[in-house]
Amino acid sequence: MVLPRRHRFWRVRRNRRRRGNSDRLLTLNMPAPSEGSGWRHELRRTLGEALAVAGLGLALALVANAVSPRGLKLGRDYFPAVASVTNVIAASSVSLPAAPMITTNQNRASEVAARLAGRGLRLIESAEAKALFRDPRREQELVVFIDARNDRHYLEGHIPGAYQFDHYYPENHLPVVLPACQQAEIVVVYCGGGDCEDSEFAALALKDAGISAERLVVYGGGIKDWTEGGLPIEVGPRGSGNVTGGTP
Amino acid sequence: MNLERWNPQAWRHTEAASVVARLVLGSLFVVMGLNKALDPVAFLKLVRQYHVIEAPLGLTLIAATLPWFEGFCGLILLAGIAVRGTALVSLAMLVPFTALIWRHAVGLQSAEMLPFCAIRFDCGCGAGEVAVCFKLLENGILILLSLWLLIAGSAKWRLMPGASRRQKFSNASV
Repeated sequence: MVLPRRHRFWRVRRNRRRRGNSDRLLTLNMPAPSEGSGWRHELRRTLGEALAVAGLGLALALVANAVSPRGLKLGRDYFPAVASVTNVIAASSVSLPAAPMITTNQNRASEVAARLAGRGLRLIESAEAKALFRDPRREQELVVFIDARNDRHYLEGHIPGAYQFDHYYPENHLPVVLPACQQAEIVVVYCGGGDCEDSEFAALALKDAGISAERLVVYGGGIKDWTEGGLPIEVGPRGSGNVTGGTP
Repeated sequence: MNLERWNPQAWRHTEAASVVARLVLGSLFVVMGLNKALDPVAFLKLVRQYHVIEAPLGLTLIAATLPWFEGFCGLILLAGIAVRGTALVSLAMLVPFTALIWRHAVGLQSAEMLPFCAIRFDCGCGAGEVAVCFKLLENGILILLSLWLLIAGSAKWRLMPGASRRQKFSNASV
């Protein structure tokens, strides 16, 4: 029998109230425990959904990465000799738990120096970086500074006259950086300082691109050490003339 | 199936909780995923800090796909599509990732000799540097929300039409 809409509504409400609150499991959209096949069906359905979501999500993610201008190249090794780098860092952080911070930093610096030497590169300290910055050959671009950080950090402030070489996107920078490095006698590569390894990777990338290792030096203190030393910083793109901070 | 025991009152509360869980989890996934997708290199470096995967292809694949994948899961949770399956996927991401954060924090604690809750680092979650205790608590809540969605599901305000089991019961009882 088809009741008028209003009557049907009240009948449904009354019937539901009579049924009471006896089983909350059903309210969780689950079949009753007694129905084993129902559980299995639900489990299979959920697993099927999860697999479909995972498959579709992965496919879309790969497409999005390929389309994105900031996407990563799947076949590229972004951390050359990654095992040796991570092992040294992991070993240094675990084996020196109670040592004062200054000792840890010194040890870390000597480890970095040894690691760079193993790759034919040389680590320089603040004083030498400062001397190279004051070197008259810098004006003739025979001493070149290379900033290995990303766009945002570079534009926020870099060593005056430094070229940007974000080695994660070499195709964006190498056409400009490589000729400058090829004509330079000394190439100083730096990044953020501290635990930053980008300067090492950038130096290795330049070495792979044909720059002689004897001409490459890594300024380990990086921009952190540079600014703490009160040295000048150029804000914006290279040659913007917007130099702030101390005098060279 | 005993359709006589269907309880509309409790059902409404369950649905409301499921919708809230979906919105919270979905929004967080979308925001965090996009944050990472916009700077995949930073995420790549952060994934590397866990020292779980050393193979270059594995590292790059995770850093390239996970942020977009996370965003996709967030979107379909918000839309209410395949909620249980997505909740299961979200659990499969959250549980191991939380364990990794905990392990990394313990390593940092022993290296730096700091109280556990004083440890702060960028875990690669898309929110920058955070206190580890806060992060573990947040992830615990997200795991509970995912578990809730896995058990309860959610059909209300979903984008895709189609009858859920619950709607079928309701129609049958009428």
